[in-house]
Amino acid sequence: MSKHSPHYWGIRMALLEVRQLNYVYAAGTPFEKHALNNVSLSVEKGELIGVIGHTGSGKSTLVQHLNGLLRPTSGTVVLDGKDIWENPKAIRSVRFRVGMVFQYPEHQLFEETVRRDIAFGPRNRGLSEEEIEAAVKKAASFAGLREELLDSSPFDLSGGQKRRAAIAGVMAMEPEILVLDEPTAGLDPRSRERMLSRIERYRRENGTTVMLVSHSMEDVAAIADRVLVMNRGEVAMFDTTEAVFSRAEELEAMGLSVPSVTRIFFELRRRGYDVGGNVYTVEQAVARLLPLLKRGCSS
Amino acid sequence: MMNGITIGQFFPGNSLLHRLDPRVKILLTLCYIVAVFVPSNWYGLGMAVAFLIAAVLLSRLPLKLIFKSLKPILPILIFTALLNMFYVSGGVTLWEWGVLHLTTQGLIAAAFLAIRIIALIAGSSLLTYTTGPTALTDALERLMRPLKVIKVPVHEIAMMMTIALRFIPTLVEETDKIMSAQKARGADMESGGLFKRIKALVPILIPLFVSSFRRAYELAMAMECRCYHGGEGRTRMKQLHMGLRDWLALLTMALLIGGMIVLNVFVTPVL
Repeated sequence: MSKHSPHYWGIRMALLEVRQLNYVYAAGTPFEKHALNNVSLSVEKGELIGVIGHTGSGKSTLVQHLNGLLRPTSGTVVLDGKDIWENPKAIRSVRFRVGMVFQYPEHQLFEETVRRDIAFGPRNRGLSEEEIEAAVKKAASFAGLREELLDSSPFDLSGGQKRRAAIAGVMAMEPEILVLDEPTAGLDPRSRERMLSRIERYRRENGTTVMLVSHSMEDVAAIADRVLVMNRGEVAMFDTTEAVFSRAEELEAMGLSVPSVTRIFFELRRRGYDVGGNVYTVEQAVARLLPLLKRGCSS
Repeated sequence: MMNGITIGQFFPGNSLLHRLDPRVKILLTLCYIVAVFVPSNWYGLGMAVAFLIAAVLLSRLPLKLIFKSLKPILPILIFTALLNMFYVSGGVTLWEWGVLHLTTQGLIAAAFLAIRIIALIAGSSLLTYTTGPTALTDALERLMRPLKVIKVPVHEIAMMMTIALRFIPTLVEETDKIMSAQKARGADMESGGLFKRIKALVPILIPLFVSSFRRAYELAMAMECRCYHGGEGRTRMKQLHMGLRDWLALLTMALLIGGMIVLNVFVTPVL
């Protein structure tokens, strides 16, 4: 690590910072709605943040501020030490640095071939043809699209393939931060798991910061470093996965729930079984329960 | 960006006009459109204007709305008034310049026509302000029922209108979403010349078409699943009933037109 790296000195510089963000929909009309209320948070490079919250909690509104699709009513979004709205004309350049995958992204496909659709972002960015080709191939492999699919029409793909093609389209812009809004919505459990491991692998190999918006506690618990909990337009919690899920009662009060395995472990502990600390994934649970079961059998 | 869009111009309320049977309102509007062209003298036109003012007051709509409906026709209004001012001749000549003559008769004709147009537009806008889109299509279906005799698919036309109206907000929302998604991929819709901007719409229009077709198939399937088979033997949840006020409204309109005809006979026309 070089001496110039902030990490060397033990200072972690935030890649993305949101300061005192407020957003009001339809201001001045009877439909006025305060969607975000004094939201502040900071995200470091390479982190994987899970964003959870009830419908209407403001999580989608928040992430749309990160790449300048929405302009804050007040407050700032700071990317790499610079306010993204410093120069409103240059807001497009922010969109390449903060890639955003919307909910049901498969509905945005439009090109004649998958290859050209994935290339839409990089081409808008102004990359050369060779760079575009390389970015498309790389993104397709991260998203789990076989190369022979690249020359077919996106409308001939299966639902899951379409979703992956659309995600590849954002990955191909090689953003520093990748925001995914419900990338596993409507997928079967197996595709879900695969999708999450692809995202995880993408982050690991590129060092990209990832923000994963999700309803599913299971998804978030499995791969996130930290979890941001939104409630009624405010940050309710922003802490490590462990710390957040240990506050199960507060989460339930917000209409959220901890992963089912975690709940089972709570209940086991309540009934007096010594099952140790919190558990968020099935794998963890298996590792914790197997020795207990073996001990139980031998006694 | 497109939040808060209102469909048609329905202004919800509970006034007498809002509660009138939509069929009656359509009929009244049609009659009124004819009625403003009946009078040939100021008294008749005065009756039409009085009727309009009474209707506006009964509707309890903000006056601002009525003026808003007149705004788009302002250019037409000015154009026709000017044309009448200089084409109609007679009476005392007030001003002359080359081929242009401005006469008192011309001024009267222009004013007469302008008032007619204003009454026409304001009167018909009352219909759409006080009647929701569904009630409107419902009423249209009932009124067009006689056309079934000559094999006009009345029910199907009304159903198409209802579905189209129902999906406008959905489509607006969808457009918004796709626009955001393409902007997030760096689509540039705000700069460049005309041709470039048209080209920039392709990534929005294609997904929009695709999803419209998908939605249409899904809707058709859902309707089939609920055994929809057109208007034959179909009953409605909201039955339209003619009440006393509806008959009274029709009677008032009949009196208005009758009165105008009588006045036309006895008063010398202004034109």
